[in-house]
Amino acid sequence: MSERAEIDSFDIYMVGVGGQGVLTIGDLIAEAALETGLPVNFYPTKGMAQRGGSVTVQVRLGRDVIGPQIPEHKADLVIAMERSEALKAVRYVRPGADFVLYGHVWEPTKVMLGKAPYPTLAQVADKVRRAEAELTYLDPQHLPRRSGAEVPANVYVLGAAVGLTSLGRVLDQEAVADVVTSRWKKYAAVNEAAFRAGLEAGGDEV
Amino acid sequence: MTKQLITGNEAIALGALRARVKVVTGYPGTPSSGALGSLMRLDLDDGRHVEWSTNEKVAAEIASGVAWAGQRAMCTMKMSGLNVASDALFSIAHSGVNGALVIYVADDPGAHAGMVEQDSRGYARMMDLPMLEPTTVAEAYELMPMAFDLSERCGSPVFVRSVTAIANSHAAVEVKEPLPPEEREPILERDITRYTKAGSAIAQAQHRQVIARLERAGEIAREMALNELRLGEQPGGVGVIASGVTVSYLDEGLEIATSLGCDRDKISLLKVRVTNPFPEEEVRALLSHCEGARTSGVVVLEELEPYLEDRVILEARRMGFERRIVGKRDGTFERVGEYTVQHVVRGVAEALGLVPAETSSPEGNSAEDIAAARPITVCAGCPHRGTYMAINQALRNLKLRKDDVMVTGDIGCTILGMNEPFETVWNEVAMGSSVSLAQGYVHSGLQTPVIATIGDSTFFHAGMPGLINAVQHRVPLTLIIMDNGWTAMTGMQTNPSTEAAFQVPGNRQVDLAELIPAMGVDHFFVIDPFEFEEATAVVEEALQLPGVKAILSRQECAIQAQRRGLKAGVVAVDTEACTLCKRCVTVTGCPAISLGEEGIVIDKSLCYGCGLCAQVCPFDAIEVQRGDG
Repeated sequence: MSERAEIDSFDIYMVGVGGQGVLTIGDLIAEAALETGLPVNFYPTKGMAQRGGSVTVQVRLGRDVIGPQIPEHKADLVIAMERSEALKAVRYVRPGADFVLYGHVWEPTKVMLGKAPYPTLAQVADKVRRAEAELTYLDPQHLPRRSGAEVPANVYVLGAAVGLTSLGRVLDQEAVADVVTSRWKKYAAVNEAAFRAGLEAGGDEV
Repeated sequence: MTKQLITGNEAIALGALRARVKVVTGYPGTPSSGALGSLMRLDLDDGRHVEWSTNEKVAAEIASGVAWAGQRAMCTMKMSGLNVASDALFSIAHSGVNGALVIYVADDPGAHAGMVEQDSRGYARMMDLPMLEPTTVAEAYELMPMAFDLSERCGSPVFVRSVTAIANSHAAVEVKEPLPPEEREPILERDITRYTKAGSAIAQAQHRQVIARLERAGEIAREMALNELRLGEQPGGVGVIASGVTVSYLDEGLEIATSLGCDRDKISLLKVRVTNPFPEEEVRALLSHCEGARTSGVVVLEELEPYLEDRVILEARRMGFERRIVGKRDGTFERVGEYTVQHVVRGVAEALGLVPAETSSPEGNSAEDIAAARPITVCAGCPHRGTYMAINQALRNLKLRKDDVMVTGDIGCTILGMNEPFETVWNEVAMGSSVSLAQGYVHSGLQTPVIATIGDSTFFHAGMPGLINAVQHRVPLTLIIMDNGWTAMTGMQTNPSTEAAFQVPGNRQVDLAELIPAMGVDHFFVIDPFEFEEATAVVEEALQLPGVKAILSRQECAIQAQRRGLKAGVVAVDTEACTLCKRCVTVTGCPAISLGEEGIVIDKSLCYGCGLCAQVCPFDAIEVQRGDG
């Protein structure tokens, strides 16, 4: 892995379900990059649904002129917020790059009714490893609670990505923390707590 | 001047403000909505007028009136909207403009938001209008003042076209202060040879003028040096002609191509930002520079239709250029979908006769194969759910098979009734088509009732002429207007049906409950889609009545109501009574409901309290208390 000064480009591919705050993670990273003076292109796609549909976010850092889409096998980091959606990111991860999987399960109705299959965690982990990526698994059961309620999972996962992967060498963690706390005035404390908890997260066994 | 993280759409809007635009009109449509939407959020009070118009044709006509009167105007739309506006725009193109008229159209290669994957560049060719295409978000901002200047200088409307990947990308842009509209007295010019189409002499003269204006636009565009030609160090190398978003992939693609053994300094590049008129001079210069080599060719990179490529082939033929032209016509690329960096690499490799690197991903394919399908459905609390349920139940009560009853669909959230668990709606054509398509099914001789479904904004946009037609011709059908008060799918824009309190200050609501009866329907009903039994009974009654029946199904979009802190009610599950029969899930498909160990579980953060699940529970296991929504 190269050191921070040597990084000339860094591509992040993110997937999840509409309503999980995947777009917000991308937005926060893009904002932190802007603050750091790093060129950025942040391209979210969410299809037609207001909620509950597949969401993809592509963030490309470091190049002044860059096409919005990350080529296959070129993402330096994948962040997946939902177990089944994670499979759609496998083709984009670069061999040797980090693949952060937050294991939340959002079952489509057919799956809930037992009429369609849903992948097991072992299956997803296997596909990620076959793509020669470094899997970091975050168990949703370990999402910290604060004043009785779970902290925002997306900000927690962002913290974990900064703390555990090469993203932490591209973006200064305090720069990201600043963006997180200045984004939500009313909920600054809980979001900062989520981010810090993510930074401390160690990753779980699959 | 500040560096801001903005979308391509916002760049278009802020660029227009910098260009002293006075009036901006448009109709929402993904991926274009963010442009006018961002201006609405700015609450401008500097003598400008910004509005969501009833449809794109209305928007284009308003903007044209502004430009005819000598001011600067812009109208915005998605590609399908341009089909609607085109009738007016052909005419305006042939008359030209006095001020400036910029038409911003956003295409959707890859059809992320659904609809026909169409290439709006075809319209620029048909209308003989100049078209500019930014290649990045930052360029979208910088091009706008040039687009307005070009429009004024050549006296022609000008298209600015972007695609989803630019319109919805966010990037850092140096944004300058907006400039106020110029103080100009409106021009009133009486000249029927210019402003009417009456007669062959007038029409043919205007045809000559529009052709001349496009030629003039080409000269001005060359002066502005918008197209960028960089010839390779020596003649005879590979040539690459790229346009729009494909230009942004060149650097990265050529880097990869270099690793395949391609000498980057020998490549000649033409970056096309003015796609109409065709950059003939630049293309001829590139072709003559690339001529001579035995093994190289010219690559044309453009998404969707081979408009540039066909003209390149034509110029090549005129010049006797015999090298290969790599594009869609030789089968290298498809006319479908978006381009990425892989297209640059593949194209250059083909032009050099190299074997391109393998790009398919077997592990990626096998991973996607086991991913769960995620069909889009209506949100928790969506009032449309109740309307689909009422239609389905009414058909069951009338002993009609769902597969025997045509329910035409329309554009917007209302189309989501096509999916499970409802499978109510059969088809989707264009804005307002449900009403007319239904009449076709009636005339086809169907003996079963025919139902048309449409949303409020879509009805105002293009559904009204269809309903008038049904009334005039006495076509028996049942039209159900699902009125949620917002243009929801495109991101919650206001429309004529939006409550007065949420209209732009000074605007008023047009009440569908007054309008539809006045259109002469034989029977008119209003239902609350959250009252399942009553709504079902009304649909059942309407289906048995003769004549034109209209049902207005009214409840505000739950997302919008919840943004104001409202809930329709509070729902609680009695786990003692719940048998986990799953009926609530199979009938409503509500994403807030999941199956727990002892009964169903309702996610309080998602639930709006519509109570539809409670009304279909056979064991009274769900209690609902009505709220304020």
